[in-house]
Amino acid sequence: MIQARDVVKTYVDGDGTQVRVLDGVSLDVAEGEFVAVVGSSGSGKSTLLHLLGGLDVDYRGDLRVGGVTLRGLGDKALARFRNTHVGFVFQSFHLIPNLSAVENVLLPSHFGAAPPDARARAEALLERVGLGTKKDRAPVRLSGGERQRVAIARALFGKPRLLLCDEPTGNLDAATGTGVIALFQELHREGLTVLCVTHEERMSAVAGRVLRLKDGQLVEERAGLQVATGGST
Amino acid sequence: MRLDALARLVRLSLARERKGAFFSSFGVAMGVGALVFFVGLGLGVGAVIREKIFPTDARLVDVVPPAVSLGSLLGGGTLDAPTVERLRALPGVEAAYRKMNVRVPAVTRYDGVFFGTRLRMGMEVLALGVEPALVRGDVQLGEFQDAGEGQPIPALVSTRLLELYNKTFAPARKLPQLSANMLVGFGFPVEFNRSYVAAASASGPSRPGQAQVVGASDRALLAGITIPLDAAVRLNRAFGVDAENYSGVTLVATDPSQVPVIVAAVKGMGLEIDDQERRMAENSGAAVALTTSALALLSLLICLLAAVNIAHALSASVRARAREIGVMQAVGASRADIRAIVLAEAAVVGLAGGAAGTTAALLLSLGVNRLAAGYLPDFPFKPDSFFSFPWPVVVGGVVLGLVAALAGAYFPSRRAAATDPARTLAG
Ligand SMILES: Nc1ncnc2c1ncn2[C@@H]1O[C@H](COP(=O)(O)OP(=O)(O)OP(=O)(O)O)[C@@H](O)[C@H]1O
Ligand SMILES: [Mg+2]
Repeated sequence: MIQARDVVKTYVDGDGTQVRVLDGVSLDVAEGEFVAVVGSSGSGKSTLLHLLGGLDVDYRGDLRVGGVTLRGLGDKALARFRNTHVGFVFQSFHLIPNLSAVENVLLPSHFGAAPPDARARAEALLERVGLGTKKDRAPVRLSGGERQRVAIARALFGKPRLLLCDEPTGNLDAATGTGVIALFQELHREGLTVLCVTHEERMSAVAGRVLRLKDGQLVEERAGLQVATGGST
Repeated sequence: MRLDALARLVRLSLARERKGAFFSSFGVAMGVGALVFFVGLGLGVGAVIREKIFPTDARLVDVVPPAVSLGSLLGGGTLDAPTVERLRALPGVEAAYRKMNVRVPAVTRYDGVFFGTRLRMGMEVLALGVEPALVRGDVQLGEFQDAGEGQPIPALVSTRLLELYNKTFAPARKLPQLSANMLVGFGFPVEFNRSYVAAASASGPSRPGQAQVVGASDRALLAGITIPLDAAVRLNRAFGVDAENYSGVTLVATDPSQVPVIVAAVKGMGLEIDDQERRMAENSGAAVALTTSALALLSLLICLLAAVNIAHALSASVRARAREIGVMQAVGASRADIRAIVLAEAAVVGLAGGAAGTTAALLLSLGVNRLAAGYLPDFPFKPDSFFSFPWPVVVGGVVLGLVAALAGAYFPSRRAAATDPARTLAG
């Protein structure tokens, strides 16, 4: 599902000095894996996620995600890739405030080929995450956990085979977080590949494999039980 | 990006930025409204000048003998019968109408009841003989031809003279308003070979006569009377002055496009063109066009300000929506999509402003016309409408609104498209 080779990402600081956030990261994730990525704040976890999801194209190295080689993709092709190949879930949900829950879930349909049953599909997804009765609510009238479920439903709309999550429980209390973690587990069990950046112990506990990002390098913290490919270096 | 999706997203952001969108639209409406109003006014006043004050028929060419007759040395330069035939035979000429001045001075003395008011006056009159066919449409009484010695001479008056009389002379002298219809049949004495102006004093005996108004015409002499050509010939002959050479010939071109060719041919014959009327029309037209252009420029400046205003408002809106734009990019929006959304928002604002401004200008012009009709005193050539709005002006107003808004959205849309989603979505 994911093949990253020697990925290097440098940011230029305000004072002009180059900061090498990712310093030769290589990563292989097989189809159907649940991988947790941990690391201290500022270690480059979000950066890695954005590179894998095609939101950031300024890097060195090679990235192949879901069978698509990202380097060289144009603006349109990259947008299409984000629309159909990956689903993002963020720490602060990032729902559009003046759209109802179901309209938020429908947002991806505006940028891709909309299936004729788009709305029914969005409603089914909300049902799936347990929000069938609150589909017409505005985000402000939903709890944090409910908002994150809407965001997950939105990430699933384009039928991606890979979910990229950036601390999805970071803004939730423990009880609500447990529900969301359970949802990810369920999705994983149904065959979805999940790559989750997290600080949450319980999240890494359910992951098949835990990787730690440190000093710009990825190191295996806990190897998976059923790692199919060669794994990380 | 599909159009329905674009429409939904545009509606979404406009609904949120309702106030900003309204003010942006309002700015566009001001600029477009002012422009449409002034252009409509310029076109309207220009039309009055062209059609009422100096009605020039684009197909007519007035040929006159040269003022300084160099041509006569070369054997040309006079308008005798063979010359008229040559003029008539020029390519592009459909008809040629001869004209001859009565070449002796004439006065009219009126002492009697003039439409209910007692009037005593005397004045010099000029008389011009023209071929009946030139003015046939304007003759309302009898045939326009000389009835012979001792009979009243049919006379046409100028419609413009009538307008000037009605709007300035009549009110000042408390004389009645006249229409062409009322004047038809009115007879007055004309004494030929007599003048009140000492220098023009004629020799020989004068000859009293009678003239009868038979209609009013655009083509009639402004300060004088227009009579049948054969009457002028007869009078000139009777007074022993030149009755062979014509004072002018009006050529009718088969088509306005033929006029320059005809003019060149006429000049080649050593004759001149009397284009005084046309020049006056052109000069006043140019003055109106210049004023209109200045006001239009001012209006365009307002449009420019509106565009700058839109640029400002959209920039702020794009900055405020950076995170939202990032989310859209994360779920599949390309940079082109983001750009299209911002441009489409501006397009809606511009079209709404353009349409509102144009409508406001049209309504304002109706109001101005009504006020002018009600409160402005009557003056010569006062039109029913001071405005003219051909469809390109109306459509152009709306399009200008669109263009101004899109111009204003150019940079904000580029900035929106350049949003770095990784930066706005982190954390
Ligand atoms: N646009 C940017 N310009 C410059 N430096 C950046 C930029 N984005 C991130 N960085 C820097 O890159 C490093 C990694 O950032 P990143 O957001 O990937 O960290 P993270 O591991 O996700 O941290 P956290 O756990 O706090 O979310 C940080 O030091 C950050 O300051
Ligand atoms: Mg982060």
